[in-house]
Amino acid sequence: MSDIMKMTVPGKAEYVRAVRMTASALASDAGFDIEEIDDIKVAISEACTNIVLHGAEDGSIHYDVAFELDDEKLVICVEDQGPGYDLEEYVEPVPGQIEESGGLGIFIIRALMDEVDIRSEVGMGTFICMKKYRHGTDA
Amino acid sequence: MAMSINANNNEAEGVWEFKLVGEVDISNAHYFKTQLETALAEKKQNIRIDLSELNYIDSTGLGVVIGCYGQIKKEGLSVKLVDPKPNVKKLLTISGFDKVLL
Repeated sequence: MSDIMKMTVPGKAEYVRAVRMTASALASDAGFDIEEIDDIKVAISEACTNIVLHGAEDGSIHYDVAFELDDEKLVICVEDQGPGYDLEEYVEPVPGQIEESGGLGIFIIRALMDEVDIRSEVGMGTFICMKKYRHGTDA
Repeated sequence: MAMSINANNNEAEGVWEFKLVGEVDISNAHYFKTQLETALAEKKQNIRIDLSELNYIDSTGLGVVIGCYGQIKKEGLSVKLVDPKPNVKKLLTISGFDKVLL
């Protein structure tokens, strides 16, 4: 049995913090420790930031965030109907050789969360689903 | 804005001293960038940023720092980050920025 909470968020920079604070509150109440909560906050922010940066310039798009909490884990899925991108063109940055922030958001999400699924297609939007297991319940 | 930034020209050491307080994310990273650019336009010298009261930073904030580093490195100058909290240090380590910025 899991609890699900959904939000629809304007694709504007000023709302990313609200999503981050929501994720933080949910993770804290669910018993995740401070480091795990920080990981979740950064990962969800990076997913939202990715949408804001690559979405409509006037912030007119909205995106959906779904939180699913069960005994084992917190699952956060972020989905937009924005321009999307070709995942095969994504080049993962090499730590220590990064001279700019391009591609860093996705890299950080993958580093901080236990499981990450990213699907994107040009013209079809982007879907990012990330999981954080409660300590001691790693898959 | 959930972030404040203080700038001080330490003339004795020839360094711009910044102190970031609060959170840096996509909503205010441009303000942080403007502050760095304004200082460097006034005087090109090393930059030291105190992170002891920075609670959160994301890739847009890190991008500002690494962009600044890339810009002034060519002129033999440096950017140094001082006293990051564990969560901020973790991001610096993951990205590899710790090797050049700490």
